[in-house]
Amino acid sequence: MRRKLLLAVAVFVLTGGYLAYSGARSSFAYYMTVSELHNRVATVRDADIRLGGKVAATDLRWDQVAGRLQFIVAEGTHTIPVRYRGVVPDTFKPGAEVVVEGRYDGTTFAADRLFAKCPSKFEARTEEQ
Amino acid sequence: MGEIGGLAISLAFVVSLYGVAAPLLGQALKRPELARSGSAAVYANFLLLTIASAALLQALLARDFGNAYVASYSSRDLGFWYTLAAFWAGQAGSLLFWALLLTGFAALVVWRQSLYRELMPYVVATLMGTSAFFTMLLAFVSSPFTRVPFTPPDGSGLNPLLQNPGMFFHPPTQYLGYVGFTIPFAFAIAALATRRLDDEWIRATRRWTLMAWFFLTWGIIFGMQWAYVELGWGGYWAWDPVENASLMPWLTATAFLHSVMIQEKRGMLKVWNLVLIILTFALSIFGTFLTRSGVLSSVHSFALSSMGPLFFGFILLSLAAGFILLFVRLPALRSAPELDSLVSRESSFLFNNLILVGAAFSVFLGTIFPMLSEAVRGVKISVGPPFFNQVNVPIGLALLLLMGLCPLLAWRKASARNLTRNFLLPAGITVVAAGLMTASGPVHPIALVAFTLSIFTAASILQDFHRGVMVRRSHGETYPLAAARLVARNHRRYGGYVVHIGMILLFAGMAGSAFSAEREAVLKKGQSVALKQYTLRYEGPSQYSTRSAQVTAATLTVFNSSKPVAVLSPQRNFHKTHPDQPMTEVAIRSTMMEDLYIILAGLGEDGTANFRVIINPLMMWMWLGSAVLTLGTVIAFWPERGEALRNRSRYLVEGA
Repeated sequence: MRRKLLLAVAVFVLTGGYLAYSGARSSFAYYMTVSELHNRVATVRDADIRLGGKVAATDLRWDQVAGRLQFIVAEGTHTIPVRYRGVVPDTFKPGAEVVVEGRYDGTTFAADRLFAKCPSKFEARTEEQ
Repeated sequence: MGEIGGLAISLAFVVSLYGVAAPLLGQALKRPELARSGSAAVYANFLLLTIASAALLQALLARDFGNAYVASYSSRDLGFWYTLAAFWAGQAGSLLFWALLLTGFAALVVWRQSLYRELMPYVVATLMGTSAFFTMLLAFVSSPFTRVPFTPPDGSGLNPLLQNPGMFFHPPTQYLGYVGFTIPFAFAIAALATRRLDDEWIRATRRWTLMAWFFLTWGIIFGMQWAYVELGWGGYWAWDPVENASLMPWLTATAFLHSVMIQEKRGMLKVWNLVLIILTFALSIFGTFLTRSGVLSSVHSFALSSMGPLFFGFILLSLAAGFILLFVRLPALRSAPELDSLVSRESSFLFNNLILVGAAFSVFLGTIFPMLSEAVRGVKISVGPPFFNQVNVPIGLALLLLMGLCPLLAWRKASARNLTRNFLLPAGITVVAAGLMTASGPVHPIALVAFTLSIFTAASILQDFHRGVMVRRSHGETYPLAAARLVARNHRRYGGYVVHIGMILLFAGMAGSAFSAEREAVLKKGQSVALKQYTLRYEGPSQYSTRSAQVTAATLTVFNSSKPVAVLSPQRNFHKTHPDQPMTEVAIRSTMMEDLYIILAGLGEDGTANFRVIINPLMMWMWLGSAVLTLGTVIAFWPERGEALRNRSRYLVEGA
């Protein structure tokens, strides 16, 4: 009985492990800040990237009707221009923390998803004294 | 008032420490009156935190903007109810809310369950230890009573995204759920400490566990609903770290709810149950922490919050305390009988547990993957929704199947007769239904499996219920009366059935998303766009002002195969206190079959509008399933006649 049970559990665990592994492989994305991406441009050319940073106050262009958005994501003095098409989240504005998902060709980041930090997750920084 | 609040919190911290020390010392020195004084500390603690909470509410309502918290989360034009809700809008306030709920629950335990004399000192010490942690955070790290040097004329207001009815439902239920698991955890620790390791601690906390599970479930559902109507991307679940953090304790708690039945009935899985409740508690704390810190939602981890190390310290401490005690008591926990057969109720529960814990583990792994990969390879790599879906969709399907099998398999060893009797008819119905579905047109394979399993599970549950009713009816009761009495005879069993029916509806609703359709359309006034059987004609924009916002609406007439069925106005609004943040208000038309979900993504100067139109099938089933699930939980929760007496006499006899 014990052997049978162990076998059943092993089959289950292996199946789960395989599903997890293959799922993970198909959805790996580098998770980087702007400066990190600058340093690694060569190695991540065709990889999926999640890029985090702040929306810069300058050079923000949003064509509402066409749904096209161009902005600069910054981290300190490092900046990367971003091109995005789609629904723009309400919390997107200059100074907001954003994460964009897409690819980087060394000049412009082509994003297919754009997340702005949800306020429920909090402006922890302003609160911490 | 602020001084009183701050003082109450400091005192609550001191009293919590006393509440830990007194019962433990009392036990060690064999001085029962000292041990019992811990109970007084629990009441005092609840009173102090009630005073602190009242002080915070008073500061909010009095618009005392000299209070930093009040200034950050409310403003003069904020209505009465949202001003109250600002209590839990920020970090300090929600920590106070957590501590208040905890001490409230602790007071209830001390008041109602003092019968468990031997356990009580350790229960009190554990609860007060947790309270000490939260009151320490409130007193020294994140106080809701910090003053600002110059009182601003107005506060910065509550973020418009939080000004939604969801604010009254989601955070409180979520917190009630998180906090609730402290009680079974405390009893588990007490059971370990006192070596009273039979199912006493489980029976003592069955209702607490069920209640915590119920609120956590609703916390998650309210969160999904809120995200769906407010965040405006058309979905309700994105495998975001904060969502994952609420799902993990739910999964382990669901496993716990099921596995305790095996211990109660067969005396098996004693260690496993303790492990599950320790994990559930730790994950609840982890969930509270993630929600309130943003550690994982930003690439710049940890640096943000000084609370991070404290929370991790507390989680590690609880895990260490739990597992070390468990390890020390291992010899006393053996002697469980072996499993008799792979096809039995016990083993199906075992697999249900394995699946739920496996799901929790995969979610955990996916959530902390960026940190792991950074530690191992020096580069942060995140995994996206495909990872979570690939693992959890099969897991969900397997659970769906087990919900149909588990309750109807015989204990010990299911015979061939047991199997044909319970599953032949449901399997037959399922095959016919699956045939009809495939014949009616192309179906997404996962959705087909999900619907098929839903039908199988529903059929087997209903068949069993029907049989039970028919047995009673043969004694001369009418069908409805027989049904009602059957449920009344065994609340746990039939409440569980109803919960399962609710879960089936939820799963079916989720499976419906396989048929969703989406289209983007740029329309000038008078132009139309078609999606599936719907045609939407854009009638033009309109602008008007309400008390708190400037509204811009774009009106559409919706035709269902050329018949006009609705007029919808998705909006983009600007709140007066937050002029730099638009509020996209989606328009949703719900039917039992599908939701038509329209987002106004942009509006040009000339009135040209950019819409995103989404069809989400079977969304109503999810909300309906949630309601059914509530009914089931209430049935399972409802005390059975004589149950309390039975428990009491059993306790007294065994304790003698």
